[in-house]
Amino acid sequence: MARYAMVIDLDKCVGCQACSVACSEEWEVPIGEARTHIRSTGIEGTFPQLMSVFHVAQCNQCDHPPCVLPCPTGATYQTESGIVKVDQSLCIGCGYCVEACPYDARYINERSKKVDKCDFCSSRLERGLQPACVNTCTAHAKFFGDLEDRGSFVFSAVYEKHARRMENSMAAPGPNVYYLGKAAHLELVQARFGPRAPRLTQPGEVWKKLVKPLVLAAVGVTFIGQAIAFFYQLHTGEKDFEE
Amino acid sequence: MSEKLTRRDFVKLTSLAAALGAGTKQADAAQNPTGWIDGQRVERIATNCEMCFWRCGTIAEVANGKLLRVAGNPDHPLTKGRLCARGNAGAELLYDPDRLKYPQVRTGVRGEGKFQEVSWEQALDLFAQRLTEFKEKYGPESVAFFPHGVASSFFGTLMKAYGTPNSAEPAFAQCRGPREVAYALTFGEGLGSPEPVDLEESKLIILIGSHIGENVFTSQVTAFAEGLSKGAKLIVVDPRFSTAAAKADYWLPIRPGTDTALLLAWINVLVAEGIYDKPYIEKYASGFAELAAHVREFTPEWAESITEIPARTIRDTARAMGDAKPAVALHPGRHVTWYGNDTQRERAMAILTALNGSWGRKGGIFLPTPIKAGKFTLPPFPESKRGRADGAGTRFPLASEEQGVTNGLIEATLSGKPYPIKAWVIYGQNVLESIPQQEKTLKAMEQLEFIAVVDILPMNQVNYADLVLPEASYLERFDTPAIVSSAKQPYIAIRQAAVEPMYDTKPGWWITKQMANRLGLQAYFPWDNPDQYLETVIKPLGIDASVLRVRGAVAFPGRPYIEDRTPEDGPLFPTESGKIELYSPMLKELGFDPLPRYTAPAEIPAGYLRLIYGRSPVHSFARTQNNARLDSLMAENEVWVNTRTAKNMGFTEAQRVVLENQQGATSLPVLIRLTEGIRLDCAYMVHGFGHSSPRLHLAYHKGASDTQLMTHVEVDPIMGGTGMRVNFVRVLKENA
Repeated sequence: MARYAMVIDLDKCVGCQACSVACSEEWEVPIGEARTHIRSTGIEGTFPQLMSVFHVAQCNQCDHPPCVLPCPTGATYQTESGIVKVDQSLCIGCGYCVEACPYDARYINERSKKVDKCDFCSSRLERGLQPACVNTCTAHAKFFGDLEDRGSFVFSAVYEKHARRMENSMAAPGPNVYYLGKAAHLELVQARFGPRAPRLTQPGEVWKKLVKPLVLAAVGVTFIGQAIAFFYQLHTGEKDFEE
Repeated sequence: MSEKLTRRDFVKLTSLAAALGAGTKQADAAQNPTGWIDGQRVERIATNCEMCFWRCGTIAEVANGKLLRVAGNPDHPLTKGRLCARGNAGAELLYDPDRLKYPQVRTGVRGEGKFQEVSWEQALDLFAQRLTEFKEKYGPESVAFFPHGVASSFFGTLMKAYGTPNSAEPAFAQCRGPREVAYALTFGEGLGSPEPVDLEESKLIILIGSHIGENVFTSQVTAFAEGLSKGAKLIVVDPRFSTAAAKADYWLPIRPGTDTALLLAWINVLVAEGIYDKPYIEKYASGFAELAAHVREFTPEWAESITEIPARTIRDTARAMGDAKPAVALHPGRHVTWYGNDTQRERAMAILTALNGSWGRKGGIFLPTPIKAGKFTLPPFPESKRGRADGAGTRFPLASEEQGVTNGLIEATLSGKPYPIKAWVIYGQNVLESIPQQEKTLKAMEQLEFIAVVDILPMNQVNYADLVLPEASYLERFDTPAIVSSAKQPYIAIRQAAVEPMYDTKPGWWITKQMANRLGLQAYFPWDNPDQYLETVIKPLGIDASVLRVRGAVAFPGRPYIEDRTPEDGPLFPTESGKIELYSPMLKELGFDPLPRYTAPAEIPAGYLRLIYGRSPVHSFARTQNNARLDSLMAENEVWVNTRTAKNMGFTEAQRVVLENQQGATSLPVLIRLTEGIRLDCAYMVHGFGHSSPRLHLAYHKGASDTQLMTHVEVDPIMGGTGMRVNFVRVLKENA
């Protein structure tokens, strides 16, 4: 079975945003949202001793994805090749997975009201294509492949060049997006954009966020029904009653 | 080998090469042809991009006549499937609700933006009638033409046939002009576009003001990143800590305007230490003795006091060139009209390139391989007795007559000298944002009897037009194919319509032919439709139109290095002497310095910062700010000011400020970015923002326009270019 991974060479990346736009166009991401984000560390240091690095953030397709468990409907799941996907037909847009993701890689699509995120362009992979971002990358800094394939670039980057992944004491879910670059640059990126602690939803919050609105909606529907019946009766009921 | 090859073999060879190309890495087109995806039939149309002018290969995906998206074309020999943010956002240009939709005639006053919709029939009749009147009343030279972009080649033919020699585009006098002239003076030919810099094979890349990464031309970024990845060292000369500077081995934050001093000192070290490419110079160059004597006094110590770059760094970087030669890619730059002495600075760069032995060498500057496309037999163009009005070839002796001097045409319009200009025809050129001294341009426009604008979006100059012709976008039209010789593999690439033109827009070729019919100039357009046009152009290339239409591009074997050249390529250095002219007899004859000299820029007035400017990877010039996707990534520009400088001025946090230049011109409110990444004496902003056309609903009044602050220019006497980094700004509180 394949074990898919992506490697991003930060020495090459120029932060041009081509990957982000290609991704957004491929997946019809609403304007203003993105599955792939380019961030800059900003310019660090004092003139003229300076440092600045770009970081490319997207779903890491974690080995132990913190987003799967909180999903109340089972819409978020992991495939055998390690890709974490969202079944749009099951997603109710509750957003628990969005909170749980330590990389903030998920968003709720304003059009569909469902959760969306990178899935390594799964449907393109099925058609024998590379992910859209990898194809378009102007700096040829993004690489996609199978870690089971010893001849692949990703294999050599991960096991020979020791590409790093973004993990820390807050979260270490086994991400499958790796980064190459100078040690100092990777340190800075890690410090700035490393994962946060997953915000796991408590049972009480499930009530507040999901069940409560449903109950309220049900109550509301019942109330409106009763109101309609009441007014209907006001107009016609008396007559009926008389009969 | 190429002598014995018949055309048939050649076709076989090239199609084999193409097939091999398709089999490697990114075989998108082969694996993902037109077909059914998710229940809909998706057509994949190969064309090329015009979000900027680099013309990267694209695939437009279309279903039911609607464009789904634009992606890179893996079969394109230069860009190989890669495409920048702007290229990927092509669909948002096509579906921009602010597009010009119908021909319009002005009803309000100029600039007000009030128009009445008319039919194409009415619009073209009016246009032809006016052009005929001007020809009869004032002569055809009274009509000036301001083109931009490839579609304008059809219109260029029309204007030449009509009889006006007055055509000018900012690509010369506001952009690449100085470098084309300087390299042609030195090596016998200019660089062309895309510039043939062998970044991916280089051992040492030198960028002087070029900010590759922020300035994105897809294939150039790919080559740059590949070169660095393969171990090339990088020297970046820039007052600002650019994306490229962040990757550099040597960042030289030079005092702006002093680059020629640095270049002369580098030349001094190469000569003094004897680390230039001696055999190459002996074999190919003339004027070395004069050069050596000339640079003797320009030591690194001399340059240190001018440039603020330590002499030791200058020596170290010069020695890095000595070590890496001839694989030194000294990028000639693109927008190089900075201080008015730009041709001389570019000459110093050309000379340095020669000393490194890098012209025609792997890892340096590679050579173009011409391909012979078919041409139409046209009647001769009428010759103007009155000559050009822009000064090309006269006042500016080495200005290009092909590209013209925009500012020269504006001056002529204002002064009526050498003769009156009465009308402008503007084709896709943003005359207000791309040419400095906006006030002059506006004043000139007010004097005109007639302005016609052909464009896609209601840019500000559209509001000043008497007649507006809405063109179909590059995704809806056929254009003259890209025939590119300055690539390692020269190629021809097609632009064809992916979808039908929206609204009542028309392609440039159609508009031109309609006008030719009305003006009795049909003989200059001996073709009926794009198919016929294409057949003629590709005939001598021995390729099939259907192959070109499906693949988008066809490449031919290149001869990029000196050792590859054949007699059919002509002389290696087509200068008058047949050698690299380190010392330029032509400049001497014209009364200019035959060897470059440093001239000091004007001092920065107290309390002011020098205004410098550049590009963002997600926007092209002032063209893309209304694109919804790109707007969402960068809606406005910021002005970079060094943290310490800002503190002295009373700014300690990001806020909106107003910039005021030395002549009192002010900007729109713009965010100040406090950063360590810039020298203390400069302010930097990305060009192209602060649009003043309210009809651009997304871009209107977002950020500030650098052009508005360029009320002063220093004109290059050699070629007429406008030096634009000669303005100074103060930073004021927004409501001060």
